[in-house]
Amino acid sequence: MSARNHEQWNAQPILQSGEWVDSKIYSDEEIFEEELEKIWKQMWIPVCHESELKNAYDFRTMTIAREPVIVVRGKDMKVRAFLNVCPHRGNMIERRPSGSFAKSTPSGTPKTMTCMFHAWQFDMKGKCVNITRKEEGYQDRLCESDVGLRELKSEVYFGGFIWVSLNDNINQTVEEFAAGALDSLAPSVNEEPLEVFHYHKAIIDCNYKLWHDTNCEFYHDYLHYHNRITGFNDEYFARKNTGFKGGHVNVGSFEVQYENYEGFHSREELSFPHLPANQWYMIDMFPGVNFNLRGSALRSDIMTPLGPNKVMIEFRGLGLASDSPKDRKIRIDHHNSIWGPFGRNLCEDLIAVTGQGAAMQSGSESRQILHGRHENETIHDENGMRHYYEEWGRWVGRSPSYPDQPFVEPAETA
Amino acid sequence: MAVNGAETAEKIKSLIYKTCLYQDDCEWKNWLDLCSEDFNYYIRAYSPEIQKDMEYMGGPKEYMESITGQLRKHNIDDSPLKRHGVVYRVDVSDDNKLATAVTSLTVFQTLLGGNSSHVDSGTTGIFLVGRYNDKFVIDGDDVKFIEREVRLDTRRLDKGTHWPI
Repeated sequence: MSARNHEQWNAQPILQSGEWVDSKIYSDEEIFEEELEKIWKQMWIPVCHESELKNAYDFRTMTIAREPVIVVRGKDMKVRAFLNVCPHRGNMIERRPSGSFAKSTPSGTPKTMTCMFHAWQFDMKGKCVNITRKEEGYQDRLCESDVGLRELKSEVYFGGFIWVSLNDNINQTVEEFAAGALDSLAPSVNEEPLEVFHYHKAIIDCNYKLWHDTNCEFYHDYLHYHNRITGFNDEYFARKNTGFKGGHVNVGSFEVQYENYEGFHSREELSFPHLPANQWYMIDMFPGVNFNLRGSALRSDIMTPLGPNKVMIEFRGLGLASDSPKDRKIRIDHHNSIWGPFGRNLCEDLIAVTGQGAAMQSGSESRQILHGRHENETIHDENGMRHYYEEWGRWVGRSPSYPDQPFVEPAETA
Repeated sequence: MAVNGAETAEKIKSLIYKTCLYQDDCEWKNWLDLCSEDFNYYIRAYSPEIQKDMEYMGGPKEYMESITGQLRKHNIDDSPLKRHGVVYRVDVSDDNKLATAVTSLTVFQTLLGGNSSHVDSGTTGIFLVGRYNDKFVIDGDDVKFIEREVRLDTRRLDKGTHWPI
């Protein structure tokens, strides 16, 4: 058989269940809404880095599963997270992406979060401290203590990333949630404070899981001229792909031969603490977060799903807060040469996944997306994706291969 | 501005527009031939998100020659970019040896491969906006770029590009 007809194309793959997923999970509106409720509103999500809120009264804003979130640093230097929503009329309290509440705003006094609409004010712990014309309007029926902000669970963990969960009842710390997946890089990112030096975003037409897949599987290194000539040796093909409880995956390291790409050089002189020269680790956290350390620069991808076929990816680059200006410049060059928006690799990955998005739009016929490579759990094995989708099935309650059927634990199918 | 500064300023405007044409046509060598050996190129932007000045790309002439020379080996988005520049200001030093110029820049992208070539090809959109902040060295009649900073407003760059702007 060469090319296939419709019936053959739609036949069950020769591979085992669990070694492919139905493309409906990347395109179906109903499944997407379930994912927001059952996954994204339940998990720990890193939303920014502590270096983005260095001073008391600094803030950052973002969204998780469409919910507006604000992270602030209090006078006590503690970071707290709240819904960025005024309890009065549901307006978004702060519209800027970042800034400081240390100074007054047109509607409010310094050191408070002030809703510009009716000038209700809140302190950095979320307590309402002023209701304008309270007595005139509410008499003794409502007071400040009745209308505090909605505080969200938050933690600073793993090199200073700020993690937030919309789930008040989450029963794990971030460390417990990570289940060891972050351990391989913990000594390198926790040795001394880190600092964000790079930020840009992409909003692309593909499902968030397709971007996560691309970070989980390295078989696609055939896409990257840079990676082929700086890798693709015995050590590269021996890199281990390790799954951790909770759907997280860690892609092991090897020594990248940067000098094989004309114009590029070793990153040895600026290796992160405890990291051997020119090593490259990737950690993929369920449901859609990636930490990628190439010797001298750490990259984080934080995804915000916007629709079944639309995702925002925020790309950050981080170095050591103690960097000299000269070292920082070199670190930035290392980061950008591969991962910047004008770098060698990042745009290639984005081109590829938008091609997947175009071929799996809502309403298109289901396709079987293969995750069936077995190579002793090394770099081109697709065990990372299989591990991820097993966890995905548990949370959503659907089989990734047959999404109209309930998820069944693999052991039970044997 | 020196007596002959006006003439130099016109020459500089012409040089800036020439770079737009060369880069639009991906004639990277011709573009870099307009630059001195000490040329440095940067793409920078200020991020209100992280409240930092950032550099997205940067390097000396040799590096730019190297990476543009290897483009054919990469899987690139070959949707053409067209640079619309308007030179707002040229300042020539009194000794007529150095000059700076500020050019307002809009880069349009006309999709070729796009997300779905059947639907999207031929569609033009704004890829980015910003400015060229250029510096020049002048040696008699010879004017060459010594620095180009592409200062972006745009920070949502979606798929990005391998091509220098």
